[in-house]
Amino acid sequence: MDEKKNYPFHELYLKREWSYTTGAVLLTLLAIALVIVTGKAWGVTGSFGMWGGWFLNLFGANVDAWDGFKGTPVSTYNFWMDNTAITDLGIVIGAFLAVLLAAQFKIKKIKNGRQVVAAVIGGLLMGIGARLSLGCNIGALFSGLPAFSLHGWVFFVCIFIGAAVGSQFLKKYFI
Amino acid sequence: MSEISVTGKIARSGATRRETPEERQRKATIQISAGVLLIAAIVAVAFYSQGANPKGAYIWIIGIGLGYVLQRSRFCFTASLRDPILTGSTTLTKAVIIALALSSVAYAALQIKATGMNLETLEVAKLPGWIRDVGIHTVIGGFLFGIGAVLAGGCASGTLMRMGEGFAQQWLSFVFFVVGSVIGSVLLPLMQAAGLYRKGAVYLPQFFGGWVPALIVQFALLATLYVLADWYGKKKSGEL
Repeated sequence: MDEKKNYPFHELYLKREWSYTTGAVLLTLLAIALVIVTGKAWGVTGSFGMWGGWFLNLFGANVDAWDGFKGTPVSTYNFWMDNTAITDLGIVIGAFLAVLLAAQFKIKKIKNGRQVVAAVIGGLLMGIGARLSLGCNIGALFSGLPAFSLHGWVFFVCIFIGAAVGSQFLKKYFI
Repeated sequence: MSEISVTGKIARSGATRRETPEERQRKATIQISAGVLLIAAIVAVAFYSQGANPKGAYIWIIGIGLGYVLQRSRFCFTASLRDPILTGSTTLTKAVIIALALSSVAYAALQIKATGMNLETLEVAKLPGWIRDVGIHTVIGGFLFGIGAVLAGGCASGTLMRMGEGFAQQWLSFVFFVVGSVIGSVLLPLMQAAGLYRKGAVYLPQFFGGWVPALIVQFALLATLYVLADWYGKKKSGEL
């Protein structure tokens, strides 16, 4: 049975992948729309530290008193007032919607211990790196470099060097 | 190489057990129906968020759009940096450079609109876009982030996108991403105390003494990177 012929609409509009360039143009438009609507640029990881702090706060840690959280108290944190948090959740749900409509959703389990180690180390390094450099690939690179900030360019060069080193680790230990 | 299931692209093309057309058909119907229900839920959340935040619904819908576009176009910043090294492909690298160049045009317009051409008196922190302190902390942070993103198989946006796609590995790395963010937040003041933090952002139009040289440098650098990526990709694929 040729599904492509039976469901041309689904195939053309919901299932066919878009080109990288289409993605580049649409992401730029959405990111700029966000700047115009909120006055602030797109970021992703800014909220992650707040969520972690908020979680620790639940267990009695007085995170507000920590040096790194001064100025951004977690005890009064409100998810729906945090623009970054809303777009973060939107990205997860938007991607979920895209795979569902394409009928391509599938839970991909972790296959082996090496993937666990890679996820743990990789997640930790990204979290630390994002906080030290004051932004991630979105906050520093995609909303910094085009905004004519030198930190975006420096981040771009350094993330590339890091990726080169990471690729060597990946080849050596994780493949 | 087929073991790189951390990369969405390779994993998705991996062959699975053959399903009969009927099974496939039923699965597709269920998923598309679930997708339609999800759209209703997204609209409901839009109404809710508008009550909780004056711009909530706009931000929420833009977020949904970002996730949808990232997933459909398999746009991954990590892969754009990793693929040239691992596979020699620079298609995605070139797309990222296009996105950066287009965004530069938009930010130039927004920033000039916000402040005019006068670069003497502006407050950099109030400009559209993130213009932040740059120094050794940016170098250390970027380097660590680059290693982490390649190991975890997704950067910040890519991790969130793959969580939505159903990758268990990215749910795990997300948890540790949050843990790392708390560690990083605690480390940052310590770095400042140790002198590993430089205060002061560098805004290129101010640095170069005008919009014209700043725009020339910005686009010349991006164009150079594009040509370099194009040449490298062709060389690796044997076209040159």
